[in-house]
Amino acid sequence: MLPTLSVLNLNGAVPQIAVAGAGMLIMLIDALFHRGSRRWAAYLALLGLAVALARVVESGASAETILDGALARDGLGMAFALVLIVAAALSVLVAMDYLRREEHERAEYYALILFATAGGLAMAMANDLVAVFIGLETLSISLYVLSAFFTGDAASREAALKYLLLGAFASAFFLYGIALLYGASGTTRLVEMGTAIRLAGTQADPLLWGGVALIIVGVGFKLALVPFHSWAPDVYQGAPTSVTAFMSVASKVAAFAALVRLLVVVLAPAAPLTSALLALLAVLTMTVGNILALAQDEVKRLLAYSSIAQAGYILVAAVAGEVGAAAVLFYLLGYAFTNLGAFAVVLAWSRRGEGRLPFSDLAGLGFRRPWTAAALSLFLLSLTGMPLTVGFVGKLYLFGAAVQAGWTWLAIVAVLNSVVSAFYYLRLVVIMYMREAEMPLALQRAGLALGVALAVCAAGVILLGLVPGVALDWARQAVAVVLS
Amino acid sequence: MASHLATDRSKTLLRVPGWRWPLAPVLALALGLFGFVLRRAPAAVAGTPWEAALDWLPALGLSLHLRLDSLSLIFALLITGIGALVVAYSMPYMQGEQGLGRYYASLTLFMLAMFGLVMAGNLLLLFVFWELTSISSYLLIGFRHEEAESQEAALQALLVTGAGGLAMLAGIVLIGQVYGSFDLGVILAEPTRLRAHPLYGWALGLILAGAFTKSAQFPFHFWLPKAMVAPTPVSAYLHSATMVKAGIYLLARLSPLLGGSIAWQATLTTAGGLTMLLGAWQALRQHDLKGILAYTTISTLGMMVALLGLGTAEASQAALVTLVAHALYKGALFLVAGAVDHETGTRDVRLLGGFWAYGPALGLVAALAALSMAGLPPTLGFVAKELGYSAALEWSEQAIASGGLALLVLAANACNVALAVVLGYRVFFGEPGGPWPRKPHGMPWLLVLPGLLLAGASWLVGILPGLLDGAVERAVGLVLPGAHAGHLALWHGWSLPLALSMVTLASGAGLYALWRRRPPAPCGEPRLSALAAYRWLVYRALPGAASGLTRTLQNGSLRFYIMVILASTVLVAGGTLVRSGLLSRGSLSSEAYAWPELLMTALLVAAALGVVLAPTRLGAILSLGAVGSMVTLLYVRFRAPDLALTQLLIEALTVILLLQVFHYLPPGFEEHVRPRRAALEIAVAASVGLLMAGLVLMANGVQFAPPIARYYLEQSAPLAHGHNVVNVILVDFRGYDTLGEITVLATAAIGVYALLRVRRRKA
Repeated sequence: MLPTLSVLNLNGAVPQIAVAGAGMLIMLIDALFHRGSRRWAAYLALLGLAVALARVVESGASAETILDGALARDGLGMAFALVLIVAAALSVLVAMDYLRREEHERAEYYALILFATAGGLAMAMANDLVAVFIGLETLSISLYVLSAFFTGDAASREAALKYLLLGAFASAFFLYGIALLYGASGTTRLVEMGTAIRLAGTQADPLLWGGVALIIVGVGFKLALVPFHSWAPDVYQGAPTSVTAFMSVASKVAAFAALVRLLVVVLAPAAPLTSALLALLAVLTMTVGNILALAQDEVKRLLAYSSIAQAGYILVAAVAGEVGAAAVLFYLLGYAFTNLGAFAVVLAWSRRGEGRLPFSDLAGLGFRRPWTAAALSLFLLSLTGMPLTVGFVGKLYLFGAAVQAGWTWLAIVAVLNSVVSAFYYLRLVVIMYMREAEMPLALQRAGLALGVALAVCAAGVILLGLVPGVALDWARQAVAVVLS
Repeated sequence: MASHLATDRSKTLLRVPGWRWPLAPVLALALGLFGFVLRRAPAAVAGTPWEAALDWLPALGLSLHLRLDSLSLIFALLITGIGALVVAYSMPYMQGEQGLGRYYASLTLFMLAMFGLVMAGNLLLLFVFWELTSISSYLLIGFRHEEAESQEAALQALLVTGAGGLAMLAGIVLIGQVYGSFDLGVILAEPTRLRAHPLYGWALGLILAGAFTKSAQFPFHFWLPKAMVAPTPVSAYLHSATMVKAGIYLLARLSPLLGGSIAWQATLTTAGGLTMLLGAWQALRQHDLKGILAYTTISTLGMMVALLGLGTAEASQAALVTLVAHALYKGALFLVAGAVDHETGTRDVRLLGGFWAYGPALGLVAALAALSMAGLPPTLGFVAKELGYSAALEWSEQAIASGGLALLVLAANACNVALAVVLGYRVFFGEPGGPWPRKPHGMPWLLVLPGLLLAGASWLVGILPGLLDGAVERAVGLVLPGAHAGHLALWHGWSLPLALSMVTLASGAGLYALWRRRPPAPCGEPRLSALAAYRWLVYRALPGAASGLTRTLQNGSLRFYIMVILASTVLVAGGTLVRSGLLSRGSLSSEAYAWPELLMTALLVAAALGVVLAPTRLGAILSLGAVGSMVTLLYVRFRAPDLALTQLLIEALTVILLLQVFHYLPPGFEEHVRPRRAALEIAVAASVGLLMAGLVLMANGVQFAPPIARYYLEQSAPLAHGHNVVNVILVDFRGYDTLGEITVLATAAIGVYALLRVRRRKA
């Protein structure tokens, strides 16, 4: 009953502590001492993330828990944590030059990214619904603030307000769901909850079903699944591009981590019903996301819709439950590189003071900026799922898992959706290489940090596409070790 | 010696126009691969295929498994051989063009992809190469990217074939599910399993979608003529000799698996037959040399598909021989057309004529190839045509069916004959119809030689069919396991097919006479065609639906978004409860309620309605305050003074804050909501209320954890040595909470300090 320090196992929580600690340090130094350039904050953030990453890689998975069982250090949690930390580090690199260019270089940006990451880490490793909720709120609140980061920009403020108000509903539903599940099982610990549900059987309890539905609503909002997606395009477009990049990857990694764990540990006995519900959401999400993306004439909003559709693809494997967990993990790893890379190009090319990147601005850039354009083409091909990129391997794995679990029709719907998506992804490539610019865009020099981020993303997409064996094995082994 | 030659090159015969250094490796690669395949040909024909395997993604069943059996052999020889000739031909043809590096890189990519496609021993690998050919074809069609027509044609080809490829992937996934493997060896070892499986229909349809789009079968044929905007060597190579035959390859390869059913037979013969006739008819109406070549290619592809659909040994043999013959003569004719275009600047048959005077060598190539196209002995075209007729005649027991089929084939062949005359005779010996944009001046020999080799091969194999016999024989066994076809021969004696050949030639001659009297006039797109359907889908329907949906779903209104999310929540949660059959189980507690609670509840509902209905913001806020007060009273009534106190404080604070904020907003609600919209919103709001109330009722009865207070009262003295329980809870039992609260205070203090510091700096 009485927690002691050894039960808390703070040693195991070093990743979270490093990330959140670096964030607090940044806030503290900035508030008390600093004036002038804020680049040091980015380096400090990278340092914190590096420590966390090193710790995650070095310590590996184990059966022990952190904070008296609230967080699990199992393979699943550590693997998703790793993806999240990598994504956060890339987001920091992407933002450095962009913030300076837009004259919004402030230290709290990096602190907020770190806090969001710490929240995401909690979600990825949570073994307790309350921990999931706290993680979710930490992540969300940081993102609300980040969305409004360009305070002078009306679109940025509107995005943040919409996100906040709609997010409040989602959080309330999620919390309500936790309460109902607690009512159904008598615990908030996932492992014990899973045992209780297995013992009790699933047919009897309205609290269980109400709770599951509300939790799916909450997670669905965070993942921007249709029909809980309506906030996403407006927020993705209004928020600063570097925030959109981070948001589109980090919230998906964290929320999918929590969802996969819920499905595997807690809801496995309820699989028939949850799978049917998730399959329905997956079909809606892929289809609506893709059809909406077709109508766009601006890259940032296009990527916003496309990342809705991408969540739908990932959900296809999540429907498969335990079978699909490794596929979800692997796809998210590839998706982190791909999507962050694509957004990085958008923010490198967009005009100053403007988040938009109209298609017409891309014309002729294939030859004026050969390297960056090649990188963007690579990311777009990967998002389409073209062979030799990580997107192909990832989709193959996702849809293969669905087929293996007997969801063949869903996999076929997913493939058909990929066909539709090819239309808008490849159109960008066409414009870059095959159209002459009417009014050549005045391009800024991309900074070194952005270049490094792009190179890392491109290398990730190619390497994971050509020799994915190591990463596939890693994903498979990681999800095999789940605290239960 | 070598260096002397190299430096002196400009003066010697070795001077090749358009030579660039990247060419040497490309040519060497093509020739090297050709040699590689040729060396392994005897083994493949003998039935011991060359194989190599490298595990790429063993976890996903994807391995780099290459296999050269005799079906692959036929394709691989055509791909590498014609590839080398096309590269050589490109040197003079593409001379002076911009972006030659891109051109040769794409061409190489295509050749490797196509080579990989026919060598792949794994269905997923085959798909990978399949999509790579689509992409490289896209790059090559759109090579002259400054022209809008090129762009559209390139995109069209990519969308149609790429989409077909992805459909095929879905089919492959199904096959993989049935067999538990994607390895062709494993799958083809047990070909009948798929046909017995319920997924057969789906797999067949999806695979056929891939094959039909790639091989330009009706109704997906429209992309191929448009693709003719590509440079002519590309058209010759991709859109006639090799890539469009990838679909034929796929059908032949998977025929043991998918074939033998009524569905297979009906679909292939119908689509193939339609394509054959439609292509032949359209070809007669073209005046562009490449247009004629494109539509006759479509027609021949249709014939091959129909032949494969018949599913007899003779038909498969005929399909394979037709494939080789077509690649040889059509490739040559494309190269001739390109050379004529290169010299005269036009491809319009109404202008062309009398070219013999400028290029007799080219005329010879054209004549050789055209004779094969017309199916005259002793060419391979003749062998193929005879085989086609006998396959059609022997297909069915019923004379009407086989006779009808033979007549259809005859119709298409007659068109081929007529057009062969146009291509091989009229261009060279006819009357020129008008001035040419350019005056021919000494054709580079490399524009002639590749065509000559192709046309010559068509004669060589025609005269010595034994060269092809072994490979085709073995390949027929791969298409139809256990089947044997007769030996290839130039002369089958006096027979019905020979008679049909005669009739073909005669009607072809007649058709040409008709054609010459009324040469084709430019005609507009028919209003109802597959192309129009494609355009409608891609340019009108999809974007229209997409923007319509965007306007409806993403209108930017927060109010609408909230409604959508709430309604969806009700549907998800309510739907779940209904599906689990639990909705009816919630029940009101039987405990009797006294009038004070009922009165408070009534007031609470009234106040809530007041919030919604209040005309001014102030009124709404005050009603909200009233709601809070009623809740507070309910807490007091149910003996929870601490909760009541908290609620009261929060309520007061909220009302004050809201008043502060609303001070800046106009006093009334100006937004006007249409009645129907309002009704919808009321319905959604009511359903959310009902859902929440229902869940509360369901949760109401649960009580399992013992009250926590007794534990603290009992344990505070023994565990923490304190008698003031509240103090012990704060500093001992929940010490971490207290630490956290102190931290929050400290953080807030730092924040205040930082803010003050900012203000001081600003001042």
